[in-house]
Amino acid sequence: MGLRRILVVDDDPDIREYFAAVLDDHGYEVAGAGDSAAALAELDRFLPDVVIVDVLLPGRSGLDLLVTLRRSPRWSATPLVVVTGVDQLLKDDCQSYLGAHAGVEGPDAVLGKPIHPATLLAVLRAIETRQLAVS
Amino acid sequence: MRDPYAQYFEEMPCYLSVHDRDFRIIHGNQRFRRDFGEQGDYCYRAYKGRDSVCDGCPVEKTFLEGAPQISEQVLRTRDGQEIPVRVRTTPIRDEAGQIVAVMEMHTDISESKRLQEQLAHSRQRLAQLFEEVPCYLSVQGPDRIIQHANRRFRETFGPAIGEPCYRVFKHRDEQCLVCNAQIVYREGKAFDHEEVVVSADGREINVLVTTAPLRNARGEVEAVIEMAVDITQIRELQSQLTSIGLLVGSISHGIKGLLTGLDGGLYLVNSGFERGDEARLKKGWEMVVRNVERIRSMVLDILYYAKDRELEVVDVDVASLVGELAEVMEKKAVDGGVALSFDVASGVGTLPGDGKALRAMLVNILENSLEACRAEMGKRDLRVTMSVRRLDPWMVIVVEDNGVGMDRETREKLFSLFFSSKGSKGTGLGLFIANKIVAKHGGSITVDSEVGRGSRFVIRLPLEARPSTRPNPELAPLSAAARGS
Repeated sequence: MGLRRILVVDDDPDIREYFAAVLDDHGYEVAGAGDSAAALAELDRFLPDVVIVDVLLPGRSGLDLLVTLRRSPRWSATPLVVVTGVDQLLKDDCQSYLGAHAGVEGPDAVLGKPIHPATLLAVLRAIETRQLAVS
Repeated sequence: MRDPYAQYFEEMPCYLSVHDRDFRIIHGNQRFRRDFGEQGDYCYRAYKGRDSVCDGCPVEKTFLEGAPQISEQVLRTRDGQEIPVRVRTTPIRDEAGQIVAVMEMHTDISESKRLQEQLAHSRQRLAQLFEEVPCYLSVQGPDRIIQHANRRFRETFGPAIGEPCYRVFKHRDEQCLVCNAQIVYREGKAFDHEEVVVSADGREINVLVTTAPLRNARGEVEAVIEMAVDITQIRELQSQLTSIGLLVGSISHGIKGLLTGLDGGLYLVNSGFERGDEARLKKGWEMVVRNVERIRSMVLDILYYAKDRELEVVDVDVASLVGELAEVMEKKAVDGGVALSFDVASGVGTLPGDGKALRAMLVNILENSLEACRAEMGKRDLRVTMSVRRLDPWMVIVVEDNGVGMDRETREKLFSLFFSSKGSKGTGLGLFIANKIVAKHGGSITVDSEVGRGSRFVIRLPLEARPSTRPNPELAPLSAAARGS
């Protein structure tokens, strides 16, 4: 099963457009959302295979959205990539934030801004490879 | 056999003497004779080398009043040594009950005099120490009334003695919810705590307070002593360091977001070139320009924050200031698909202020409104309007948008340092600085906003120059061109 449909959740339209262009150029289908509420609505409409979410969003944060998805029966298995410009939230600290939510698995990958197109694509391919190995 | 009483008289370990009505010494014991000479002399001459009776002579008083007297005197011995003495006199009567003589006993009190002086000296020294300790020192009774306060305390908090502590420290009329002095009374031991108190002139002071019990001879806590050290500077420094830490984090986060936007623009430009896709190329270039512009205004904000400069006040021509703003913001508004309009009432005239600072402030507010519109995806008919009216004593500038709007929390934190609702884009500096500039001009910013409906910023700037905005005669009024530089 390939990962084709990507939902990008970021409040900066430039970044949404950037990711959409890169992913579109490489055969992915992309939808965008500017905040967590819009993302939740888009999930049911677009049925993404992967969700890429920025940590700092207006209103509910990206990590908050992650916890919601991980706990939802429908989306718990959907790969999730967290994007952030905040150093402290990278890697370990992201896990420790999630540690406060017992049983919630962390993101499948964390991307630190700025993000090169190759990095974005490599992360998606790694997730895909991992999924294929599991199945 | 010798009269034993005569022997006792003779050997008494003090000066004993008997005087007649003429103040002549008719008897003196051995010790007396050794230091003041043989009997027969006048006491005033023997004791003080005088030619007449001393003032307040205890012998004279005893003759007059017929009762024993006690006083203190200083006598001079034959070899010139001065001895402080306690004098006790008693009348000696004949069989008819007439006073015929007065017996005088002098006890040497040099040692107790010396101790007394030492005690007074130590007391004075202690009082001086209490007075001059370089911290705030006070003693409070169980009724919370300040009984003593040292100099530094009085200089900072006013006379204070006789006043309740809560009035002196907090300017309030009721006792504090948690009273640290009462805890000391209850628990009987010293402890430290930190708090904020208010000086007589209304300044907030951070203090580290040690409160300790003062016990009486029975060991009961009779009063509480409080020693407070001013740590305001340390706290200020700490909060500045925290601010700098936050600033660095916020800047680095902001820059990373903007770099990602630049990466996006570059990707679109490059791939547009490769494919000869002009629309993509144009979109990418706009993205680059937008993010470069954002980096520019962020850097300017940081510079403004880093340098808390004094206002350079001149009479600012409001209409031409708005004209400049229109020029600067036009492109940004068009790019964002926002209709930006300006409405300046005729004859708004001038305003005492710093042209550059006012311009930076209005750019920040307008940018904020444009962003609020850009964030409102899918909405048509996005507008930002700026209107200027002269409503004595204020110049009132209203910036209104129909963008995303703000919830209550965002509205309340809007002007705090590093608060940003823009997620990945904001540094949280822009509106903080705008508010600071308006406050420096003696004005105010109020905000009215609702989620989904937009926001309305009302900026009031005083038309009359205040001490901080009195035009500097050395600065010539700036031309519009110079202001724009």
